[in-house]
Amino acid sequence: MDPASWTSKHKPQSLKDVVGNDEVRTKFTQWLQSWKTGIPKQRAAFLHGPPGVGKTVTVESSANDFGFELVEKNASDYRTEESIRRFAGLASQYSGFFNKKRIILLDELDGVYGTVDRGAIPAITRIIKDTRVPIVLTANDYWDRRFTAFRDKKQYLILEFKKPTAREVLKHLTKIVRREGIAAEEEALRFIANRNQGDVRAAVNDLQALAQGKVKLTFEDVSWLAHRDRKDLIFSVLRQTVYGKSCETARRSIEAADVDLDMFFEWIYENAPHHFNDASDLSKAMTALASADTYRARIQRTRNWKLLPYMIDHMTAGVAMAREKSKPSGWVPFRFPQRMRMLSTTRGTRKTTKDIGSKIGRRLHISSAGSQRDILPYLRIIFEENPRMAAGLAEGFRLNEDEVIFIAGGKRKANPILKARNERGS
Amino acid sequence: MDFEMWVEKYRPRSLSEMVDQKEIVARLQSFVDSQNVPHCIFAGPPGTGKTTAALCMAHDLYGAAYREHLMELNASDERGINVVREKVKAFARVRTLGEIPFKILILDEADNMTRDAQQALRRTMEKYTVTCRFILIANYSGRIIEPIQSRCAPFRFSYLKREDQAAQLRRVAEAESVELKDDGVEALYSVCGGDLRKSINSLQAAASIGKPVTAEVVYSVAGRANPVDVHAMIETAMQGNFVEARKQLREMILKFGVAGSDIVKQIHRDLFQLDIPEQWKIKLADAVGEVDFRLVEGGTEEVQLSALLAKLAEAGYELKGG
Repeated sequence: MDPASWTSKHKPQSLKDVVGNDEVRTKFTQWLQSWKTGIPKQRAAFLHGPPGVGKTVTVESSANDFGFELVEKNASDYRTEESIRRFAGLASQYSGFFNKKRIILLDELDGVYGTVDRGAIPAITRIIKDTRVPIVLTANDYWDRRFTAFRDKKQYLILEFKKPTAREVLKHLTKIVRREGIAAEEEALRFIANRNQGDVRAAVNDLQALAQGKVKLTFEDVSWLAHRDRKDLIFSVLRQTVYGKSCETARRSIEAADVDLDMFFEWIYENAPHHFNDASDLSKAMTALASADTYRARIQRTRNWKLLPYMIDHMTAGVAMAREKSKPSGWVPFRFPQRMRMLSTTRGTRKTTKDIGSKIGRRLHISSAGSQRDILPYLRIIFEENPRMAAGLAEGFRLNEDEVIFIAGGKRKANPILKARNERGS
Repeated sequence: MDFEMWVEKYRPRSLSEMVDQKEIVARLQSFVDSQNVPHCIFAGPPGTGKTTAALCMAHDLYGAAYREHLMELNASDERGINVVREKVKAFARVRTLGEIPFKILILDEADNMTRDAQQALRRTMEKYTVTCRFILIANYSGRIIEPIQSRCAPFRFSYLKREDQAAQLRRVAEAESVELKDDGVEALYSVCGGDLRKSINSLQAAASIGKPVTAEVVYSVAGRANPVDVHAMIETAMQGNFVEARKQLREMILKFGVAGSDIVKQIHRDLFQLDIPEQWKIKLADAVGEVDFRLVEGGTEEVQLSALLAKLAEAGYELKGG
């Protein structure tokens, strides 16, 4: 493996450092533990789940923790019946040197190296039947028809690995940048975690690509992930739009550039106010953008893409032609769309608010939006002022700990409430 | 320990417990007595007892197990046409057991339904009239399409009268052993108008502080419950600091989750209190109305509202004699 890659450099050495899937991992260690005293009924474990969620690393790090020798083979080694027997057959009958216990890992049964042979599967099941050491299989797709042989729960410990939450991935990324000595904005890391949707390996790879060799990692650095190398292009189109002398130049700039229209709209919307210093010019520019937005809404609603040119007219020529009285103001740098940034950083807050809103709404016969607007503000006051009353309401609304902390406005403020709740429970 | 908000704890369970809306309650009572209910529209401002009246009527009709004969949907949580098609149909078409041959479906915030969904609803209402009666709840009955309106008995709820609201607040305070001062009652009315839900929530928040509920406590609670300062945003814009005003707007929407339509409403209210020439007010009101309309059409809240802020900045500049 490539020692320069962060996925291997920062690979968890111990099971406690693995990201996510806590319950499944506990079951797995219990199973390994049972091998210490004899041979359990389930002689093999079948770990399945999407790529990059920690199947292999769970096996590797627990072998480490238990002091087992790991015999690891991946797909290319066991495509045929013959090759399976050659390496796994023998290994499965004897424990390692100096009585060191051994785990056999058959990784990626349906992995990148393609498919296992038909004959290979029966060979594997035969070996498992008599194995004297734990055998672990991993695969992405449990429901693959070739794996029906592994679905017998009496013989196989079947463990499903789920995608870790973005929060768990975030924690892992934070640990890595700390070790690498990089000062990273939490928003930047969250962006990477969200983008990779639970694939830890891919998230770490992204992080390395963006952060290696840097001392600082900001949200702006990261937001280019989606469209790398586009910065210069956007800036030049932006300049033509905001300072265009004719409708035609302003309009054509965007057609020539092939940029993502919605994103480009955000760039103009963010930057225009900084480039018009006359109040009436600015008002015209913002009105033009609002008109463009109206066309965007119409297109979205009616799926009538014929309206697209009008949206472009307003967001380019409309903005350019707003310039009548503004004086040249010297060089003003273009800024990354702050609205996009805040949309990303507040996503979690909005989701929590919405969840709380619908929990409350259901009890009080109002909509989620209605309870966010009409109930939550008062709840906040109660949670701040009166832990006892708050604890009762938290119980009645079935709010979880995170939600209580959210309403109380912090862990410290939530503590008396959680305490009051526990006292009642005991 | 209490597990309910007081609004829920003291919500009337039966029509006989309802305060105010006397004529409406009397008519609903006659439906209960005759064991027959037409489709209804309950329209009126928030906190005036629309949902409560519907729940009470169902309770009085079916007795303690009324939940089995009732479904509540909130159109603003699930306003798509598919919800009407699926959930409503599935509920409406199955006949209920018991003496009363129909069930009741309460569709809250029905004026937030799209026109398409309302059209679909109209067909469903006709088809399943025998097995299901609909109570549509709305702030504005005008936003409900004509064909539905003509199939429903209309009920207009109005804000609670001052003395009715005061009496109910005193009752709650007494039951909760809260010392509610006279000026506290006055303050609750001036802050909440005749919105009983809001006033009981305010009372509970004020009481949670643990001191007697005076006017001062009520006003401080009202201030804290409304951290979003639309007025300050307008001032910022009119002083010419558009970028800062836009930032405040962004925080309201994204951080505090305030609905754009609520901000529009507050700007509209604030506009007429501003210290600017009267002609300007109506000019700006026109712009506010346009934003309101565009938001309904699906415009982006921040983009539409910031165009309005830019107009305010322009107005501020011209008024200074720019």
